[in-house]
Amino acid sequence: MKLFNAIRRTTLGVAAVAALTFGAAAQAETLRVGMECTYAPFNFKNADGSLDGYDVDVAKGVAEILGADLEFVCQKWDGMVPALLANKFDLVIASMSITDSRLEKMDFSAPYRISVGRLVGKKSDNMSLFDDTGAPVAANFEGLKIGMGRATTYASWFEAKLPGANVVYYDSSEAMYLDLVNGRTDMIMTNPMKAYLKFLSKDDGAGFEFVSPQIDETDFFGVGVGIGLRKGNEELRERLNTAVLELTKNGSLETYALKYFPFAIHNEGWEG
Amino acid sequence: MSFDFSLVIDSIPKMLMGLGLTLQLMALSAILGTALAVVLLLMRISRRWYLVWPSVTYIYIFRGTPILVQIFIIYYGLPQFEVIRESIFWPILREPFGCAVLALSLNTGAYVSEILRGGILGVDKGLGEAAAALGLSVRQRFIHITTPIAVRLAIPAYSNDIVSLMKSTALASTITLLDMMGIARTIVAETFAPYEVFISLAVIYIIMTFFIQKAFGRFERHMSRYLKREN
Repeated sequence: MKLFNAIRRTTLGVAAVAALTFGAAAQAETLRVGMECTYAPFNFKNADGSLDGYDVDVAKGVAEILGADLEFVCQKWDGMVPALLANKFDLVIASMSITDSRLEKMDFSAPYRISVGRLVGKKSDNMSLFDDTGAPVAANFEGLKIGMGRATTYASWFEAKLPGANVVYYDSSEAMYLDLVNGRTDMIMTNPMKAYLKFLSKDDGAGFEFVSPQIDETDFFGVGVGIGLRKGNEELRERLNTAVLELTKNGSLETYALKYFPFAIHNEGWEG
Repeated sequence: MSFDFSLVIDSIPKMLMGLGLTLQLMALSAILGTALAVVLLLMRISRRWYLVWPSVTYIYIFRGTPILVQIFIIYYGLPQFEVIRESIFWPILREPFGCAVLALSLNTGAYVSEILRGGILGVDKGLGEAAAALGLSVRQRFIHITTPIAVRLAIPAYSNDIVSLMKSTALASTITLLDMMGIARTIVAETFAPYEVFISLAVIYIIMTFFIQKAFGRFERHMSRYLKREN
């Protein structure tokens, strides 16, 4: 019994010290940010061990606006949400898309990156596939074969917008790019960031370019990528939204994106 | 794990939309493959080394490599060469359907050729000798004596090969064709329910196999009508 009491007293003591420490930390506010640290070019480690990438830049930008200190926590993807809920970190800035199923468990800030689809085709073909409002012109898609991933959001978009189009489905992006290069398909629809990193910036993709504007209909592609946080932190969420809006307006998000891509990857028209 | 029967009911009509393509692949490849097999067979039994050797090599290669590898070499490999993409064959090779029919025909041709050879080897030598004694020429003997009997002997093995060809058409889904397998894979990617969808697909293939076997059974009885019925 004596021993038990002693343990209890010690535990209480530790708890008191911990409470004081965390109380002090809250004054300076340290935001612990979870990310994979292996997802180039969004969050990855340089050869010297320092973190770099679009997500990292966004985290730093947000922290500067909020006047908070940053602490990065590397976490595997499949444990990301559980780790957030278990209070291992406060924010997820890890290219995590805002989805309905995730919103049941957690909150998100406004998106700092959009989810879009874009068509890639031969450079020379001037096909005017889209009108001035950005809507597809069905007649100009006739006779064209378009490749895309099987059962992807791009496939649903085509089914809804261009039901008569001649589409082919692929299980791997390698096969999809190979058929595009070989001329079996006239164009492909995919994520422009991946298309740029895996194809357009390489030798194989030299004769190809984006042949459509960014297609960002949220009904199909979702709202985009946001900063994740635990539920019940309305005040923090508001501050994050303000910070993301400021990064959008002062051109920081564009600067971050242009380090890795020749185009911006956030919603330029976003007004908060 | 529960079995969702409504998904089965939903997916079977969708998969049957690919039945036409599956049957086209099978029928075209069976016809072209059998034609190729006859040519290979005639070369093989010609006793002229410059005909025998190519035939033997061809059969050895196409029976010795997986059909999936052959499909990939034809579909992904051939277009790597500028020559092929500018040749008159490109309109066929550009389409995945053309590639699938080509691969299935070349493959099945090799097998059927060996099946037919087995049939010819099974014909009683005495029949040929008797025909020769009656004054029939080599050509007449081959067409009127050897071939009908060889065909009858080859039917069971041939029907096996056609069933196997029918199942191989499912591999066409790997090169973007939406045959029954291709549609099934799309449904699985949408519903994450491989169990229900693939089991339904398996049932469709089994029913098709049943009909193919029935048809060949009839054909075999027809070709055997000169034989004395046992019991």
